[in-house]
Amino acid sequence: MTRRSAAELFDVSVVVDCPEGTDPDRLRATVRSVLDQTLSGAEAALTGDGVGDTGAVLAADHPHRVRVGAPRGTYVLSLAPGELLERNACRNLFAAARRTGADLVAGRWTRLTGSGSKERAPEWQAALFARSRIVTDLAEAPELVTRGGPGAGYCVRRAWADGVVGPGTAGAADGAAGSGLLLALAARRIALVPNLITTRRAAPDPLHGLPAAADAQRQALALLDDPALRAGLARAFLTDHVLPCVRAFLTLGRDRRARLADEYGTFLAGLVPDDALGTLAPLERVAVCLLAAGDADGVHTAAYALEHPDTVVTPLVRRDDRVRWSDDRVGDPYDVTELGHQNRPLNGLRLLNRVTRCAREDGRLVVEGAVVVPFGLLDGDRTAVLTASLDFTVRDSGDRTVTVPVDDVRPTATGIAWRAVVPLTGALRPHGIGDRVWDPRLLLGIDGERLPPLDLFAEKDIVPAEATALPARPRLTRLAADTWQPYVTARHHLAVCLLPRRGPARKVNALVGYATNFRPARKLKQVRKKLRRTYEALHAQRVKVRVYRRVLRRLPVSRGTVVFESHMGKCYGDSPRAIHEELIARRRGARVVWSYAQDPTGFPRDATLVRRWSWRYLWALARAEWWVDNQGFPHALDKPKHTTYLQTWHGSAYKRMGFDEVRHKTQNAPQRDRLARAVGRFDHFLVRSEHDVTTLAHAYRIPEERLMRVGYPRNDRLVAARARDEREGRFPRPALAAGLGIPDHRTVVLYAPTFRGTPKNRKVRLQLDVREFAERFGDTHVLLVRAHYMEAASLPVTPPGTVVDVSAHHDVSELLCLADVLVTDYSSIMFDYALLDRPIVHYAPDLDAYAAERGSYFDLRARAGGPVVETQDELHRTLAGLKEADDGWQEARRAFAAAFGTYDDGGAARAVVDALFTRKAGK
Amino acid sequence: MYTTRATRTRARDLFLVANTTDELGGVTAWTHQMARLFQTAGHRVHVIGVHESDLKMAVPETPGYPVTALYEQHPPTPRPLRGTRRFSVPARRRETRRVAAMRRAVERLDALLRPAPPGSVLVVTQVWPMEWLREIDLSHLTVIGMSHESFAYSRACHRYHWVKRHYPHVDRWLALTQEDADVWTAEGLNNVGFMPNALAHLPTIPSPRTDKVVCSIGRLADQKGVDMLLDTWAKVAPFRADWQLHVYGAGADEPQLRKQCAELGLDGSVRWLGRTDDVPGALAASSVFVQSSRGEGFPLALMEAMASAVPCAAFDCAPGVREIVRDGEDGLLAPPGDLDALADRLLRLTGNPRMRDAMGERARINVQRFSQERVLEMWEDLFALLER
Repeated sequence: MTRRSAAELFDVSVVVDCPEGTDPDRLRATVRSVLDQTLSGAEAALTGDGVGDTGAVLAADHPHRVRVGAPRGTYVLSLAPGELLERNACRNLFAAARRTGADLVAGRWTRLTGSGSKERAPEWQAALFARSRIVTDLAEAPELVTRGGPGAGYCVRRAWADGVVGPGTAGAADGAAGSGLLLALAARRIALVPNLITTRRAAPDPLHGLPAAADAQRQALALLDDPALRAGLARAFLTDHVLPCVRAFLTLGRDRRARLADEYGTFLAGLVPDDALGTLAPLERVAVCLLAAGDADGVHTAAYALEHPDTVVTPLVRRDDRVRWSDDRVGDPYDVTELGHQNRPLNGLRLLNRVTRCAREDGRLVVEGAVVVPFGLLDGDRTAVLTASLDFTVRDSGDRTVTVPVDDVRPTATGIAWRAVVPLTGALRPHGIGDRVWDPRLLLGIDGERLPPLDLFAEKDIVPAEATALPARPRLTRLAADTWQPYVTARHHLAVCLLPRRGPARKVNALVGYATNFRPARKLKQVRKKLRRTYEALHAQRVKVRVYRRVLRRLPVSRGTVVFESHMGKCYGDSPRAIHEELIARRRGARVVWSYAQDPTGFPRDATLVRRWSWRYLWALARAEWWVDNQGFPHALDKPKHTTYLQTWHGSAYKRMGFDEVRHKTQNAPQRDRLARAVGRFDHFLVRSEHDVTTLAHAYRIPEERLMRVGYPRNDRLVAARARDEREGRFPRPALAAGLGIPDHRTVVLYAPTFRGTPKNRKVRLQLDVREFAERFGDTHVLLVRAHYMEAASLPVTPPGTVVDVSAHHDVSELLCLADVLVTDYSSIMFDYALLDRPIVHYAPDLDAYAAERGSYFDLRARAGGPVVETQDELHRTLAGLKEADDGWQEARRAFAAAFGTYDDGGAARAVVDALFTRKAGK
Repeated sequence: MYTTRATRTRARDLFLVANTTDELGGVTAWTHQMARLFQTAGHRVHVIGVHESDLKMAVPETPGYPVTALYEQHPPTPRPLRGTRRFSVPARRRETRRVAAMRRAVERLDALLRPAPPGSVLVVTQVWPMEWLREIDLSHLTVIGMSHESFAYSRACHRYHWVKRHYPHVDRWLALTQEDADVWTAEGLNNVGFMPNALAHLPTIPSPRTDKVVCSIGRLADQKGVDMLLDTWAKVAPFRADWQLHVYGAGADEPQLRKQCAELGLDGSVRWLGRTDDVPGALAASSVFVQSSRGEGFPLALMEAMASAVPCAAFDCAPGVREIVRDGEDGLLAPPGDLDALADRLLRLTGNPRMRDAMGERARINVQRFSQERVLEMWEDLFALLER
C-alpha cells in the first residue's frame, strides 16, 4: 500500500473557530459531536484566539482527531462553538462529495428558537433541500445566495476553496468573512443533500443583529451581479432581518426604541429598494419604510398591526381614491388600500385603543386611553355622540362580565380620549379560584352604533406594578388571594390578575399547591387520566363500528323510520331535503331522522337530529327502514337486511368518478373491495339522463334494475322557478334576496367553483379576484360566492353589498333560483342551473390541466351551454356584454339542459315518494 | 463527474441475513444472486435466514457457501398478553415457548457472528431479522440494512414503523433508489444510502423485434395489475388487429382475469402462456414489453426486457421504475392507473418500428449500468466508505 500523504489522512476536517471568550463547555460539546461522527476520518481543527486551555486539553486527550491549528482534511466544514454535528453528517457529506465530484456540498441545519429549548430549520430550506441534486447554475437554487450563502451545514473541497478565499480562511466563521457566499458563487458544481448536518445554531437576535446583517448584506450586494439574485437577496434581507427586527420593537420601551430607530434608520440606507418593497404585504411594507425613516413610535405601532392585522392602528386618510397610512405618511409605500379597512362598517372596525395612563388614585384604578379614528369619521358638521364603558371579562371562561362606566369620553384632534376610574376592590368580586385573570375591553359607541370590543394596548412602562396594585376581596376570603395586579399580557394588552401577596394568602396558596401536587394527588391525576383514556377508547370509531356490526345491525326494524343525510351531514339541503319535504307533506307520522356533522342549526325542528358518528346515529341507522342520502353513509357501516337505501347522488359527472378514477385504479384489492361493498349497499340510484347512466352508473358498477330514471328531487324547485319566470317574469325576487340584502336592480352573479382537494386546515384560494370584480361591477352586480361544501374560502374585505359569502347557506338550489348568471368552472352545478335557462359562464383558467389530471367524460368546450373563458379580463368582458351575447347561446344551452337533465320534469320528489314510501310500494 | 473505484478489494467475511433461506420470491433470489457474486469476488459469504420456507424455490445448484436457518418454520408472531388473554394459561405457555425459542435462535446467531474478524460486514436484506440481531452485540461488525421496496409501499404497511424502529441503529441502510432514500431522509433517518438491484445476465442475442407481440411477465396477482393491462389492451387492440398480447405468469387471479378477458372480447388477441423459466426466450419472441403494476420496488422484469433490447411501456408506479426506464429515451412511462396514457404509449411503440428499434437498442446499452460488475463495484465502494 502506498503511504498516504498528510492531506489524505483525514476525509473531513471540522474547523471550530473560537472567538475570544469561548465558553469551554460549548467547545467541548462541539468537539464531542465531531468525535462521535460515524466517519472515523473526521478531525476537529480548533482555530481562533479563544481556543485556550480547553482546546489544548482536548487536543491532548484525542491527539489523532483533535488538533489546534489549520485543517488537514480533503474536505473542510466549519462549525461555531456550541453548534453540534449530526452523527452521520460527515459521512453523508463525504459520500455525496465523492459521488458527485462537487466543490461544495450543503445540507440542512437547524437553529434554536427564541425560547432556547426547541430547534427549527428556516422555512426556505424545505424547498432547497427537498431532494438530492447537483446544481451547476445558481438560478436553480437561488436560496444558496439570497440568504447570504448556505450559512452552515456545508463542506468544501479544501484544495479548491483555498484558491477561492485564500489558504486557511475556508473554515473561518462564516458571517465575518462572508466566505460562504464567495464559495457558493465560485463553485462549478454544488451538491445538495436532504440530510441534517448542523444543529443547535444560535437563535437569531433580530434586534441587535441588524447592524451586522446590514454590513453582510452590503458585502453580498457588492459580490452579486445577476439582477434576479440581487432582487432575491434584497427581499430576503427584508423578510429575514428587517421584519423580525420590527416585530421585536413591540417589546421595547420608549427611550430604547427611539435610540435604536434613530441608529437603524441610517444603517438601512440603500438596503431597502423599491422593487423589493413592492413584493411585501402592505403592512410589512409600511413597517419596513417606517424603520428606514427612523420613526420609532411609527414602527412600534406598525409592529402591533403586524400582530393584529385586523386592527386600524393609525388615523388612515383617503387621497384620490386610495387609502394612505396617516396624514404625514401619504407616499406610495404607505398605500394600504388593500387592507380593506375603508370597506368595513362601523361595527366591524377594530380601532387601536392605547392606554396612556394607568395609576392608583384613592384606592381606585385610573385608566386613561386614546382611540385612533380613521378617515376623519368624527369631522362632520355636528359633534358625534360618544358613549363608552369598560367590560371586565374572566379569561378562558368568558361568561362572567362586569361593566364599569367610563367617566369621560371626548373627541380630540387625533381621535377619542377616554378616562375610567375603576374601583377594582369593590366592583370585581371574583371567587378566587378559576377566575384569577380578567381582561378589560372598551365598548365604544359612535352615534349609537356599537364598535366591536376594543382591547387595551399597553406598554410595560405605562403600567408600573407597585403603583397600580390594589387590594382584592375574593368571595373565598382573602386567604385565596389579596391583591389585584394590573399587568401587560404577552399580546401587549392590559389585564388584571389576582395574586397572593401577603403572608396568610401566600401560606394558604403554598398549602393548596402542595395538596394538589404531592404524591397521592399526582397518582390520582394519573388514574383520572387513564380513566379518561379508557372512556375515549370505548367511544372510538373502531369500537363503534364493531358494536354496530355485531349488535346494532341485528336489532329489529323500526317501521316507517327514514334516516336522511346530505353531503355527509354538512347541510340540510339537496335532494334528501326535497324528498323529506315531500314526504312530510304527503305522509303524516313518518318518523324522520336527520344527521348533522357539527352544528344542528338550520336543520328541521320536527325531525329527530343525530350527530354523525354518535351512538344515536348508529342506533338510528341500524333500525331505520329507509336510508336516504346523496353521497354515502360511512363506508364501514353495512346496511342492515331490513333497510332500503336510496342514493340520490349529488350531481352529474364531468370529471371521472368511482372506478373510472385513476386514484381507485391504483389502490390495492382490499381498498377497491371496500369501495365496491359501499356502493353495493345502494338499492336505488337516481339518474337525470342517459349521460348519468353511461358515466356514474358505469363508474360505480350499478346494475340497470337499481337505476331510477326520475331526475333529481332538488331540481323540482328549478323547474318550477323556470315555469314561474315564463309566466310572471323574474321579479319580485324570492324572499331570500331581501334576507341577503340584494336590491332588485342589481344583477346577481353566483360564483361556485368546484372542489379542488385543498388540505383541511387551509382555506381555498379562489381563482376569481373578488376585489377586482367588486371594483369593476360593484355598482351594478352582486357577487354571491359559494365555495364547495367540502371547503371554505377566505374572502377579502370589499365594499358592503358587493360580495356575499353564501358558502354556509344550506340549500344551493335556492341560490340558483336567485342568481341571474352563474359563473363556475366545471362544477356539476352547471347541469342543474341549465334547467333555469339563464346564462352560464364557465371561468376555468386551468381547464386543460384539470381535464388531463382528473380525466373528463366529455369536451366541455364543445358541449357547454355558455362561453368558456380562461382569463379574468375575458370574464369581465363576457359579463359586461352578457345581454347582447346571450341570444347566441340560447340554443346551445337548451340542448345542454335537454341532454343532461332529460328526466328532470319537476316531479322527481313526488315520483320517488310514490315509488318507495307509499303503501302501494309494499312498505 | 467521476466515480471512485475501489483500487483493490479486500476479502471479507460477509453475512447476508434474510427472512428466509429458500422462499420463492424476489428478495431471496436477490440474496443468493449477491451471495454468488460476492463469493466470486473473493469474499467469504454466509447466508442466514430466519426460517426455512414452505414454498421452496428451485435452487439450480447447491450453493457453494454455508446457508443457515434459525428456525425450521416460521416463528410464532408475538402477541401482547393484554385484556382477558392475560389470564389464559395456553396463551402464557405459548408466549413462554416463543421466548425460549427466540433465545435459542439468538444464541445460535451469536455463535455464528461472534468469531467474525474485524472488517466483516453484516448485510440485513430485510428489516424483520433486526428483531433478533438487536439482541446481540454487533459492535465488531459493520451492519448494513436494506429495504427492497419503495417508500410508498413501506409506508402503507407495518414495515414503515419497523424501519424507523430498527434502522437508526445500523451503520448504514440502503433504499433502492436515491429518490426513496431522500424521502426516508426527510422522515428523519440520516443514515440512508441507496443501492440498485443487479441485472443477472445480459442475453447474448437481443430480440430481433420482428414478431408482432406485446409481452407481459409477472405473477397474476392484484399487485401486478394485469386487470388494468387487459382494460388497456381493449383500447389498443381495435387499432392493432395484427398484434398479440402474451401474458406470462401464473397466480390465484388467473380464472378471474381470463373471465375479464373473455368479457372484453379479447380472446382472439390475448394468449395466456403460464409460468415460464425461459424469460430471455419469451422476450426474444416479442417486440414490446408492458408492465401495469400497482406497486413495484426495483423491477427485475423491466431490466430483463431492456437487456433483451425490448422497449418497455410501464406505469410510473415507483421510483425504481423511473430509475430503470428513462422516459422517452429507452422506454415510455405513463402515470400510474391512467389507462388511456398507457394505451397511448403502447400504440406509439407498436405503431412505430423505427422508434421501437431505437429505444430497444438504447435500452440494452443503458440497462448495463445495473450490470453485476457495476453493482459489485458500488458495494465495494460502500464497504470502503463505511471503513473510513
